[in-house]
Amino acid sequence: MRGSPILRLVLVAGALVLLALPVWQLTRQTTSPIPAKPAAVAEDLGDYRVILKSSGTARLQAMVANQPTASSASGVENFEAVFSMSANEPEDIAVFADFVDRTRPSALRVMVEKGGVVLVEKTFWGTGVVEDVLTIPTK
Amino acid sequence: MMEGDEFATVKILFFLMAMLAGASVRAGAEPVRVASLSTVMADLARDIGGERVEVVEIVKPGMDPHIFEPAPGDLTTISNAQILLASGLGFEGYLDRLRPSLKRSGVVLVVGGEVVEPIEGACEGHDHSEDHHHHGTADPHWWQSVSNVQLVARQIRDALIATDPEGQGTYKKNAAALEVRLEDLGKWVRLQIVQLPKKNRVLVTSHDALGYFAKDYGFEILPVQGISTSDQPSSQKVRDLIGRIQERGVKAIFAESIENPKVLGQITAETGAKLGGVIYADGLGSGETGTYEGMMRHNVTTIVEALK
Repeated sequence: MRGSPILRLVLVAGALVLLALPVWQLTRQTTSPIPAKPAAVAEDLGDYRVILKSSGTARLQAMVANQPTASSASGVENFEAVFSMSANEPEDIAVFADFVDRTRPSALRVMVEKGGVVLVEKTFWGTGVVEDVLTIPTK
Repeated sequence: MMEGDEFATVKILFFLMAMLAGASVRAGAEPVRVASLSTVMADLARDIGGERVEVVEIVKPGMDPHIFEPAPGDLTTISNAQILLASGLGFEGYLDRLRPSLKRSGVVLVVGGEVVEPIEGACEGHDHSEDHHHHGTADPHWWQSVSNVQLVARQIRDALIATDPEGQGTYKKNAAALEVRLEDLGKWVRLQIVQLPKKNRVLVTSHDALGYFAKDYGFEILPVQGISTSDQPSSQKVRDLIGRIQERGVKAIFAESIENPKVLGQITAETGAKLGGVIYADGLGSGETGTYEGMMRHNVTTIVEALK
C-alpha cells in the first residue's frame, strides 16, 4: 500500500481505538451509587392503644422495642398507653404489673386496639408481680 | 400385758425403725445408671433423678456431636447402663446401629426427638453416605425451644419411674420443680427478645441449628453452613449470604462454641457486621453454660445485646 505514512498511522490508530472501545466499556469501573437501604422507604405506621386492667392496685407498665416505657403511677387498676408501630408488622408488647399486695394471686388483663377494633386480648396470672409478652396477630 | 398407750408407743417405734431401715437400704442401693449422648438430656436427667441416678455423659460438653462416633469403651458404658438418652431426629447417625445391642442388653432407649414436633431443616453440600452423619430433613436441634425441653423432661421422668418405681415420688417432685423453672425460663426469654425490633431479628450463624428458636421467637435464620457442622457452603452461597446480610443491614453474626469462626470472620470483613459472640447450638458448655438454663440465658443475652 502506497501513500502518506502519516495517513497510514492515523488509519491504523483509528482502527485500534474502534477495536478497544467495547473492551474499555466492558471493563471500566462504573460509579453508579449503591442502592439506598430499604429504610429509606416510608413505613406505614399505625397507633396501637394498649389497655391494662389489674385485679388489684398495682404499678402498671407497657413496653415495645425502641420506644420509651409507658408507666402508670403506683396504686392504679387501669392504665392506657398508645404506641406508634408498623401497620404490617407491629412489635410484641411487654406488660408488667407490680401489685401492692404481693401475697395474693394476681391477674393482669391486656387488650390491644387499633382504630377502635380489638386486635388481641389476654389475661396473665402471677403472685405479686405479673410480667409477660403479648404478640399482636398479623394478617 | 402392755397398756394401750405403751403398745401405741412401741408401734410408733417399730414404724420409725422400719422407715430408717428402708432409708438406709435406699442409701446403700445402686443408683439408676443413665448414659447420655446428649449434654442437654444429661442435665435434665440429673435434675429429675437427683441422688437416685448416676448420669454418664458419653458426649461431653465441648465435643462436636455431629461428628462424634462412640469408641469401644463408650459401647461398654452404654451396655452397662439401664437407660440411654439420645437426641434423635438423625442427630446421632450411629443410633440405628446401636439399637440391636441395646435390646440384647436390656437398655431402655429414650429418644428426645420422638416426643417433639419436628421442623424442617436446611441441608446441603455434604455426603449423605457418610456413616457418621445420616440425617433426615428434620432439624434435630429441638432443645433450642424451651417448650420442647419441657416435653422431653416429662419423657425422662416417665422413663425413670418405669425403671425405678420406688423413686416415683422423688422423680415427680423434681420434675415438677424443673417444669416451674422451665416456665420461668421461657417467660424470661420472651421478655428479653421483646427488646429487639422485629426487623432486627435475623440470625446469621455458623450452621443451621437455631430453627426451633427462630420459630418460637420470630427470627429469620441465615446459616453459613447447612444443618450439620460437616455441611460446607458453596462459594455462590457465601456470596448470596453476604448480599442478604448487606441488604438486611444485619448488625452482628454469631460463631458457635465448637467451631472455627474463621469463615464468619471473612464474612464480617466484607459486610461490616460485627462478630456478636459465641453461642451454644449443639449442646451445653462449661461454667455458666454447663446447664440447660445457663446455656439458654447465655445465648439469649448474647443475641439480644448484639442485635439491639
